[in-house]
Amino acid sequence: MSKNYTAADLKAMERNARKAAKAQAKRVARDEAAERKRFAKNGFSNPANPTRSLGLTIVCAIFAIYCLFPFYYLLVNATKTQSEFMSKLFGLAPGHNPFATLWDNIVTVFTYQNGIFGRWFLNTILYVVVGAGGATFLAIMGGYALAKFRFPGRKLVFAIIIGSISVPGIALAVPQFLLFAKLNLTQSPWAMIIPSLVSTFGLYLMWIFSDQAVPDELLEAARVDGAGEFRTFFQISLPLLAPGIVTTALFTIVATWNNYFLPLIMLTGSQQWYPLTIGLNQWNDQANTAGGQAIQNLVITGSLITIIPLVIAFLLLQKYWQSGLAAGAVKE
Amino acid sequence: MSQQTSVARDRGADAIPVNKHRRDWRGWKFMWPFAVIFVLVFIIPIVYAVYISFFKRKLALGNRTVFVGFDNYIRLFQDQQFWQGVGRVAAFTVIQVPVMLVLAALMALALDSMKLHGTKFFRISTFLPYAVPAVVSTMIWGFVYGAKYGLVGSLNDLLGTHFDVLDPSVLLVAIGNINTWEFTGYNMLIFYSALSTIPHSLYEAAAIDGATEWQIVRRIKMPELRGSLAITVIFSIVGSFQLFNEPQILKTMVPGNAINTSYTPNIYAYNLSFTANDSNYAAALAIVMAVITMIIAYAVQLKSMKEQMK
Amino acid sequence: MRTAKKIMAASAAVASMFAFTACGESNTNATPGAQPTDTNTAEAKGEITFWGWDSGNAMGDIIAAFEKANPGITVNFNNTGTAEKTSTALTNAISAGKGAPDVVMLEDPTVTQFAVTGDLLDLTAFGADKLADDYAAGPWNKLQYNNAPYALPIDSGPEMFFYNKAVFDKAGVDGESIKTWDDYYEAAKKIRATGAYITNMAGTSNDYQPFTAQAWQAGAQPWKVDGTKITINMSSDAGLKKYTDFVQKLIDEDLVDTKTSNWSDAWNRGLNDGSIASLTIGAWMPTNLISGAPDQAGNWRVAQLPQWESGKEVSAEDGGSALAVVKSSASQAAAYKFIEYLTHGDGAQLMADTGTFPSLKKILSSSAFTDPNNEANKKTNDYFGGQNVNQVLAEAAQRPTEKFQYLPYNPFAQTAYGDEVSKAYTKEITLAEAMKNYANKLAEQGKSQGYDVTVE
Repeated sequence: MSKNYTAADLKAMERNARKAAKAQAKRVARDEAAERKRFAKNGFSNPANPTRSLGLTIVCAIFAIYCLFPFYYLLVNATKTQSEFMSKLFGLAPGHNPFATLWDNIVTVFTYQNGIFGRWFLNTILYVVVGAGGATFLAIMGGYALAKFRFPGRKLVFAIIIGSISVPGIALAVPQFLLFAKLNLTQSPWAMIIPSLVSTFGLYLMWIFSDQAVPDELLEAARVDGAGEFRTFFQISLPLLAPGIVTTALFTIVATWNNYFLPLIMLTGSQQWYPLTIGLNQWNDQANTAGGQAIQNLVITGSLITIIPLVIAFLLLQKYWQSGLAAGAVKE
Repeated sequence: MSQQTSVARDRGADAIPVNKHRRDWRGWKFMWPFAVIFVLVFIIPIVYAVYISFFKRKLALGNRTVFVGFDNYIRLFQDQQFWQGVGRVAAFTVIQVPVMLVLAALMALALDSMKLHGTKFFRISTFLPYAVPAVVSTMIWGFVYGAKYGLVGSLNDLLGTHFDVLDPSVLLVAIGNINTWEFTGYNMLIFYSALSTIPHSLYEAAAIDGATEWQIVRRIKMPELRGSLAITVIFSIVGSFQLFNEPQILKTMVPGNAINTSYTPNIYAYNLSFTANDSNYAAALAIVMAVITMIIAYAVQLKSMKEQMK
Repeated sequence: MRTAKKIMAASAAVASMFAFTACGESNTNATPGAQPTDTNTAEAKGEITFWGWDSGNAMGDIIAAFEKANPGITVNFNNTGTAEKTSTALTNAISAGKGAPDVVMLEDPTVTQFAVTGDLLDLTAFGADKLADDYAAGPWNKLQYNNAPYALPIDSGPEMFFYNKAVFDKAGVDGESIKTWDDYYEAAKKIRATGAYITNMAGTSNDYQPFTAQAWQAGAQPWKVDGTKITINMSSDAGLKKYTDFVQKLIDEDLVDTKTSNWSDAWNRGLNDGSIASLTIGAWMPTNLISGAPDQAGNWRVAQLPQWESGKEVSAEDGGSALAVVKSSASQAAAYKFIEYLTHGDGAQLMADTGTFPSLKKILSSSAFTDPNNEANKKTNDYFGGQNVNQVLAEAAQRPTEKFQYLPYNPFAQTAYGDEVSKAYTKEITLAEAMKNYANKLAEQGKSQGYDVTVE
């Protein structure tokens, strides 16, 4: 093993690894196809490469319908005007003029109250980038430490974390609010970002993942070569952790994007810093205010817009979280 | 995790040269940023919550707080509203968590079996509900549930029936359905990831030995699931004991006062803090709930947690 | 070392937590009746923060007009969504000792709670007490504590009788002829015979305001507050008994929809499809009806609230909100100037123009307010089948009201109402029993908050 990995070395290693993986995938696909042919001929069942089952697919399809149906419902209702919405409330059929109305609703969502929705959208993105990004980074470092070092207090960390998440968040909101107010952080983006930085589940994921994906031998070799801990971490471990990082990021992004209660307490009185969830709820409340206008069509359309980025992220990152989750399988 | 991996782990950890006489603090170099934020966001507020739980704020004294010792705790133990809420979330947990986890495990096994047409589609569609904020998913399901205005209402009109899934007698099931919808995919993914860590060579070997598919599921896949069960069970128990968003948002959708101010302990704590001017009592409630949750979580999963800690 | 520095920062946070703990304790000398430190409104300058909700979506324009008329004062408006969220946020900010606004919008009954704790300014020193006669009596009376005004009314909600004429016609009932609650009861029976309900009542916390309004109209005095002494009488108070007996009759004979709570989704649906045929609710309701029950355009009408005794003309308040100056404000004079502008000055007219129901007599009796050719009125009158809505509402606002005392812990009273009184609507217990339980619950809360409570 060379004394230090240069950037070029690493890149070459990465490239080779990727090449090898591609070649392997090709080989596997070829083998599978061949095997299936063989199976069709002589009826040998191989559990590693089984035949497709229509019955099981149908059962799963029922479950998939259950999972996807509310999305359809949301979409259909976003094509209704407020008055259609109130009268044929929540039916399964779209409104009279679905596309025009949907477009109209979307435009209104972004222009209502001087376009505050766009601001909320940007805020949410800020919170996701800084909050979820930071949470992922802290979880990587923490998980790596728990997996690869035997430091004093290590065993306590898990107990404390499980203990702390058992405390109902709602009741902690008041003490948290008071502390943040003392630090002058309420009604500012920090009130949203700092609590988002802690992802206990992310820590757990990275712990398990580091454990499996970073061979101790590799770290040992680097240490023997005299590399510092941080250098080892950034140059050797981090690239190996990449798939797990995507998975952790996915969970922290969802948690931050959907965060509701804490920002409600922390940010009330500072509408310009609301994330989407709170903004939408404020619009929803408007129907329940004396003398207020019901704007459920905007609430529904806004909800739809709120979940679209996450759905897209899920779809785009699918490849990565799949490999991240399956990474353990690499070590054959 | 499976035995193979934990064996590997132990061997690996021993390989790190540790000077027995000097403590190895290197891990903290990586741990501290998480620890600092964690202390700030969780530990200090918890300590403070414990502290204020011994006081009481009194409106009549211009909202001055007075020290009351264990009064809040004594009151809590006699508070029927609180214990009814605890009973409700306990019943909820006992039913909803197993249903959700079994569904998630079955779905994970089905996906992992590679027997589905379109595995990718099923994986993403099962996981997608997790992307929906609780605020939004409760609203959508509320619209579905409405006996007067929702899909259930439309079905009633069509069939001439009078189902009301938001009726107090079945309301908890309706809420359980929302939670199951939201989190099955999340748990499925954890199970699925555990399953995909099984080396495929193991299946091949088993197949050559003549193992049936069912045997492979029982002997190879189930033990692997058991490892990740610990974390999903703990997170699910904690989650359902803290039930709040769904009933709070459904409040205006249910008939009458079916969701009252102490429907779940968390809703009770919220109302105590924010409408009853009694955040001290709410703090005591939070502490007691935390202890209850921890006891249950540990009792259920202590053993597997310990294995994890090795 | 950087690490050491960060650890220092963390411990600084811990230390500051202790500091705030101490601060939390010293922040207890709030004395009732906080007096302003600066009453010089003529030279008021500065920046003020204002929390409130914005039903008419017009606050931005009104504030711009204020700033133009008062150079040197800037107003930062923050839409806090609902009354409940606003008072929660105010409570939080006050207990943190930081971040409270200068001006806050509150629902009338919550004003007392913050006045009691000394967190709102007594507005007498600004001369607010001299404005008493300019406002309708109902809203004004609700904002007094120890005979001093602690807020100025920005809108009001005299309780009205809204009914769906199409449904009433079908049942053969003339809405205009309902003058007393007895008439109402007879109408309820006829409407029930058609399959609809005359109204909904579920005893939830959302029905608390109509409850207090109607009990108030019946002359009920269930709560008496004198400093730290509270007397609760919910079993022998004559006015309350009148109300309870009447409602019990409606429940027993299945004349009201007891499953649907005000402001629920089913409620909107019921108003829109005609299954709920009328409402007794505040005068601000037209806006909600127009957007919430579009299918019934042209069918709704409004009339005066039925009376407990025929020939009388007693009104009561349901809802209504007010503006107050928070004690911690650094620009108290500017803050007062702003609330005076919105509730009494030019801003009040602007508010009324955007659909807020005014409490200023001057506006209520102005010809523009009831002018059917006025743009804003046209839309409402069309929805109400051409009726001159504001004329009816304005008349109600000018009617006399009794004095009604809310409890200083009104938010609790509201939620506890739902928990206890709803049981009478599901027929687990009688309404009288529910009121008794409710009284005990209120007494318990009062005692735990340090009040000297007597239950009669």
